[in-house]
Amino acid sequence: MTITFDACCVPHPSRGSTGPAPTPVWDTIEVSEDASVRYPVWTSDEAERLLESLSGAGERLADVPVLEVVEGIGRVADRLLDSSDPIRREAIDLLPPTAGVSREMASEIVTGMARDWTAGRLTELLGRELGDPGVLDGFRPLDAGRMVRARGPLLSLHVGAGSVPGVSVTSMIRALLVKSPVLLKPGLGDVVLPVLFAKALGEEVPVLSDAVAVTYWPGGASDLESLALERAEVVIGYGGDEAITSLRVRTPVSSRFIAYHHRLSVGLVGREKLTVEHAPRVARSAARAVAMFDQRGCVSPHAIYVEEGGAVAPGEWAEVLAAAMAEVEVEIPSARLTASEASAVHQVRGTAELREASGGPVRVFWSNEGFWTVILEEEMRFAASCLNRVVSVIPAPDLNVVAASLGGVRRYLQTVALEAAEDRRPMLAERLSAAGATRVTSFEMAPWPPPWWHHDGASTLAGLIRWIDLETIHPAAEGA
Amino acid sequence: MSDVFARLARDLGAAFQESSGDPWPDEVFALWAQRIFEYQVETNPVYAAFAHKRGVTPSALVHWTEIPWVPSSAFKALPLVSGDVARVQRVFRTSGTTGSERRGEHHVLDLGLYRDSLIPNMRRHLYWSGAGRDSPTEPAADSGSHKDGARLPILALAPDPSDAPESSLSFMLGVALEVLSGGRGGFFITRDGVIDTRGLDDALAEATALGTPILLAGTAFAFVHWLDSLAAGGRAYDLPSGSLIMETGGFKGRSRVLERPDFYASLSKAHGIPAAAIVNEYGMTEMLSQFYDGPVAATPGLALEDRRHVPPPWVRTRVLDPITLSPLPLGEPGLLCHVDLANAGSVMAILTGDLGFAVEDGFRVLGRAQGAEPRGCSLAMDDLLSGGMV
Repeated sequence: MTITFDACCVPHPSRGSTGPAPTPVWDTIEVSEDASVRYPVWTSDEAERLLESLSGAGERLADVPVLEVVEGIGRVADRLLDSSDPIRREAIDLLPPTAGVSREMASEIVTGMARDWTAGRLTELLGRELGDPGVLDGFRPLDAGRMVRARGPLLSLHVGAGSVPGVSVTSMIRALLVKSPVLLKPGLGDVVLPVLFAKALGEEVPVLSDAVAVTYWPGGASDLESLALERAEVVIGYGGDEAITSLRVRTPVSSRFIAYHHRLSVGLVGREKLTVEHAPRVARSAARAVAMFDQRGCVSPHAIYVEEGGAVAPGEWAEVLAAAMAEVEVEIPSARLTASEASAVHQVRGTAELREASGGPVRVFWSNEGFWTVILEEEMRFAASCLNRVVSVIPAPDLNVVAASLGGVRRYLQTVALEAAEDRRPMLAERLSAAGATRVTSFEMAPWPPPWWHHDGASTLAGLIRWIDLETIHPAAEGA
Repeated sequence: MSDVFARLARDLGAAFQESSGDPWPDEVFALWAQRIFEYQVETNPVYAAFAHKRGVTPSALVHWTEIPWVPSSAFKALPLVSGDVARVQRVFRTSGTTGSERRGEHHVLDLGLYRDSLIPNMRRHLYWSGAGRDSPTEPAADSGSHKDGARLPILALAPDPSDAPESSLSFMLGVALEVLSGGRGGFFITRDGVIDTRGLDDALAEATALGTPILLAGTAFAFVHWLDSLAAGGRAYDLPSGSLIMETGGFKGRSRVLERPDFYASLSKAHGIPAAAIVNEYGMTEMLSQFYDGPVAATPGLALEDRRHVPPPWVRTRVLDPITLSPLPLGEPGLLCHVDLANAGSVMAILTGDLGFAVEDGFRVLGRAQGAEPRGCSLAMDDLLSGGMV
């Protein structure tokens, strides 16, 4: 059965509520054997009207107390977490054909993502980043002689990557928290969750959904894109170097540009976690971290450095990891790969098999069930993955020297899942931070950074808001 | 052992030279494949262990399609030599788009075998007897018999082989110049990788003035730079009837990218030859045999999108399902997997990352499977490689 998904949910300009797109011309892209994505082709007049309606909605949104915004978003998150709610079922039905993930993966992703969109988590995010969230509603005293207020952009343009489902919803939510109207162009592989989220917002809190327009268009060639780049006060771009560069050069110098370009992550396992007792558990969470999002997330480990000298040697641990990958494959089956993705895996596997045949310590483990592949390397040298559950196990004489081997990927390094004795972690984190890492965590937590994480090294709301200082005029200064 | 290879190479070379160009019967190809597989397992311990792990041994081989393929990227990871490594005559390297990218290496034991493979194939597709005398758009009654084929001078948009000893394309064109063009022609890319514009202009003007048809051959990206230079100078040629262009390779990262119809239209317009006189060569450093999407002479008026690449008789190409790697029927797109008998001294079965589909007498190439935008916000290996970071 093939489905056609309409990658569009925009506020109805006249009614001020979410409804069908007003534009009559649509285009269609086939995204898999089972699904096509349909999207409106915006004329410049329609684009103009859409942005005007967002801007009007932005004025109304500015008067909504921030805690009401949080509650509204949280209600949609709760529905996505409720297995009896049709919206969750719809999301899990639609993700496999459109995003290429398995049904089980779709369920993991919806749960994992929506957990961080709940009111409790968002309140905590606001508190941790702003101290008093009330600064988004009006001036609040900050320190001696000063009150402050924070305002979000009058329009934020979000350009998603064709990637991990849900990432663009997180981007939308961050903007709504600071009361910014959102124009969101999701990546082709991430159209379902933002559209369903915006629809559900329309049912729950129209004042929020009026300020949200989700619509796909092919990047670079749209009147709406040009107009939005001109009008948006903040442009947030996700994607590969080329896509980000193209957006960056077209963003006016007076606008803020926030880039989340592609990143990569690694794992480190210390010898104290390589006991007969711990090693299988660590392997199991490592396998889940690799498999989650089919390794397409920036948080997904490409390679795992395993320290020598533990009870379980790196080579033995690679075998344990392979067994865990096979188990995870059953629980959360792999995505259906495209020809190019599958080809990349075959090339990597075959090459590793030849290296194994050349008599060195290299070993390669894989199964015909799914595409997971574990490669035991011989040298301590970073090995990038072709993604889709292909992970290297790299023996390290000592975790202290791992950071030095990451120099080549410094600008791209993000998460490090570090499994080591508590007393070693600070020192190792110190070295990893110098090597470019922006997050040190465990395998278990690696796929799910909390909402208040320093995303690629920066506070997530800070980049969106503008602070306004109200300085108290001292009576003496007036000469009274 | 080296005597075994010398004998094998000599026998193969003779078979290539004697071939009419028509496909060999299955049993002939199978016999050769069996002999070479036995030789490769015996002389290449790495490949032997690899084949063993795949459960394939020469004694148990039922059909040549079972011969284990190696992925083309394996040539980047380790030397694949079947025979005495000390006797390697030349190492050809794939071109990298950045300096630090790991390049594929093909260690060639016998350049003579390389010549024996490339000459008859080029002769059949580019130096057929009609070329140079008549318009190549007209069918040649004797395109199969080429003993007196035209000796078109070759003007190569490639560096001279002595300047680029690692380039298999330069080697090939050098052999063509010497053997097929009767020593006439030259190389028009300097040691520094710059087009010798003046030299090529002079050579083309001279060919035009004398009415001598020529073969202009080079990489697609070099042609794009050449076209840009012609356009910038407002120059164009009206080459003598019978002239051909051979282009090969992609554009990635080395010039702007042109769609094939636009590319051919520009080439055609700038040189005054019909698009039918432009031939694509599909080859790779890892293979000593090549494919041409001709002979143009035999397919007048064939639309570009209907062209197909034809293997020489000593190569068989299969199309495999990208997911399961099982063979696909005609017309279904998958990964191209070649068995090239000319690779006797390395490994003959190679799985490429190229997508295509099989047709009656060859295959059509759809493009590279790798290099497509990966889905995900994680950086994939390809990005790192092209960024020169690992």
